[in-house]
Amino acid sequence: MYEPTLRYEKIDFLGEGQFATVYKAKDVKSDKIVAVKKIKIGSRLEAQDGINRTALREIKLLQELQHINLIGLLDVFGQKSNVSLVFDFMDTDLEIIVKDSNIVLTPANVKAYTIMTLKGLEYLHQNWILHRDLKPNNLLINREGILKIGDFGLAKAFGSPTRINTHQVVTRWYRSPELLFGARQYGTGVDMWAVGCILAELLLRVPFLPGESDLDQLSRIFQVFGTPNEETWPGMKNLTDYVQFKQFPAQQLRHIFSAAADDLLQLLDRLLALYPPARCDCTQALQMPYFSNKPAPTVGAKLPMPTNIFKMESEKPSLKRKLLDNIDGGSLAKRLQF
Amino acid sequence: MDDLACPRCKTTKYRNPSLKLMVNVCGHALCESCVDLLFLKGSGSCPDCNVPLRRSNFRVQLFEDSMVEKEIDIRKRVLKDYNKKEEDFATLREYNDYLEEIETIVYNLCNYIDVVGTNKRIEQYKKDNKELIMKNKVKIGREEIELEEILETEKQMEELRRAEISRLEQEAKKQKIREKEALIDELMFAEGDAKEILNTFAQNIAKKEEIDVLPVIPKVTQFSTGVKFSRGSGSQQGVPILEEGPLYKYEAPIIPDRCGPDPPSIQNIISKGYLQHVRAENETEKAGGYTSTLPCLRALQDAMAGLYHAS
Repeated sequence: MYEPTLRYEKIDFLGEGQFATVYKAKDVKSDKIVAVKKIKIGSRLEAQDGINRTALREIKLLQELQHINLIGLLDVFGQKSNVSLVFDFMDTDLEIIVKDSNIVLTPANVKAYTIMTLKGLEYLHQNWILHRDLKPNNLLINREGILKIGDFGLAKAFGSPTRINTHQVVTRWYRSPELLFGARQYGTGVDMWAVGCILAELLLRVPFLPGESDLDQLSRIFQVFGTPNEETWPGMKNLTDYVQFKQFPAQQLRHIFSAAADDLLQLLDRLLALYPPARCDCTQALQMPYFSNKPAPTVGAKLPMPTNIFKMESEKPSLKRKLLDNIDGGSLAKRLQF
Repeated sequence: MDDLACPRCKTTKYRNPSLKLMVNVCGHALCESCVDLLFLKGSGSCPDCNVPLRRSNFRVQLFEDSMVEKEIDIRKRVLKDYNKKEEDFATLREYNDYLEEIETIVYNLCNYIDVVGTNKRIEQYKKDNKELIMKNKVKIGREEIELEEILETEKQMEELRRAEISRLEQEAKKQKIREKEALIDELMFAEGDAKEILNTFAQNIAKKEEIDVLPVIPKVTQFSTGVKFSRGSGSQQGVPILEEGPLYKYEAPIIPDRCGPDPPSIQNIISKGYLQHVRAENETEKAGGYTSTLPCLRALQDAMAGLYHAS
């Protein structure tokens, strides 16, 4: 048996999260650059399954998933009482790109990112897995311009008629209204809503619905899409955490996204439908005219990249967004490094 | 300005240079100390017209004519509800009529013409246009936030520029001192003629000044849309060239060999009665986005996969 710690040579420290520390490393065997995610041992409560639950999810699911737009789990090795996961190395993520004011995102770029996200998600849903934590921060991009969905710490199988799920998933800004109302039985709609929010963020270059609390999130949603009623959303009042909201009139999406073409607005309208069964799934979305219309999506290598991609230290995801993630647990909380 | 006087205590600007006149919604002025005295409890009535007033609504009188202040107040109040924009009207004529109506209302309220009737008219209008008013309010709020953001960034830019300029000035000063010292050193220790040395130094400095006129810091401005653009040195990358790649065409993902018969499609599950054999979703589950179709498909898929497997 070979010594796994010798196979991966640490190059650089990339970041630290609540559950793991991530290093950039070189795979000596294949000469490839990889990311090694070293899972922290954590408290006894977190490790009641023997190993941290989010890590277990990632290992369990990613082992069987193979898609160009999903992060690849290359290896898992244990050393003493630690477990480390080896992933494809990704240079940047969509959050950094959206926030970089030096980058101009053309409609073709936006289309390319959306297509790659939906393709990865379609594969995921086809294999009966919900990601449940889609956000720009988790859409990783490498220097070939290929987008891969990462962080499967909250992913879970769906399509069981009896299983009850928790509604405390997805970073709040990307959380769908049914989750905010406390639905315990949900479907692919939760991921589709998040994709809609991400697409909106790509267009606006700022988070589309930055709610400050769960209630504020809902009121922000309704201020844009109008408050639903028993006709537009049957059964809404039966949901666990349902609260009556003030009647807001719906706004025209074209007023918010003034630069978006009609086919794009049509897609947004379907992705961000309040009534979950009315939301489209990935396959339906990808077949919509927006994607086949001009302009054609940018080919990977021509997608914009942050200029300081080679000196990664300077660009770290903002602390604020991390803090806002709070209880969801899937996010990384920054810690000072001395 | 010196004849400015408080109508109650008759104090004039001449006698009390810090006199400040305040007005409330009724348009009658009072000096600051009178306001303090009369509205000790927070509310009271105007000594001129007995209209009940709140202390918090008092503000400094900006215009000498208090009627102007009153009109501003009324206008502010009316426009809060009459917030339609030109886009909300089909024709220019209608828009103008609408503006005319606002003016009439403001005039009436200012001059006490049919106050009750006018107020009723406003109420009626509010009722009729409730939704539109709400919507425009939300829109205006958003516009204000955007404007604020732009102002904020402009301020930051200004600060940056100022810091840069002061840094450059400091640098220039230091440079001058250094040159002077060099000149003195030269005069002290060099063998040549003092005049000549002075001359060469003066020439050198003149030459240098010609070369480096203070580098102009590019003035950064923003479009109203918030897109940054800068004049001068082109550190900004140009607009990316539009590259036409192949148009996207949907391709269904390849389904791996399941080693069994193909499960029915979603359409078939719905139309061929498969759903009669599974528990239908209840309303709450449906409201949460759960349907029994997908679990049915999953169960069928699981059941059929691997049926052809032979070891």
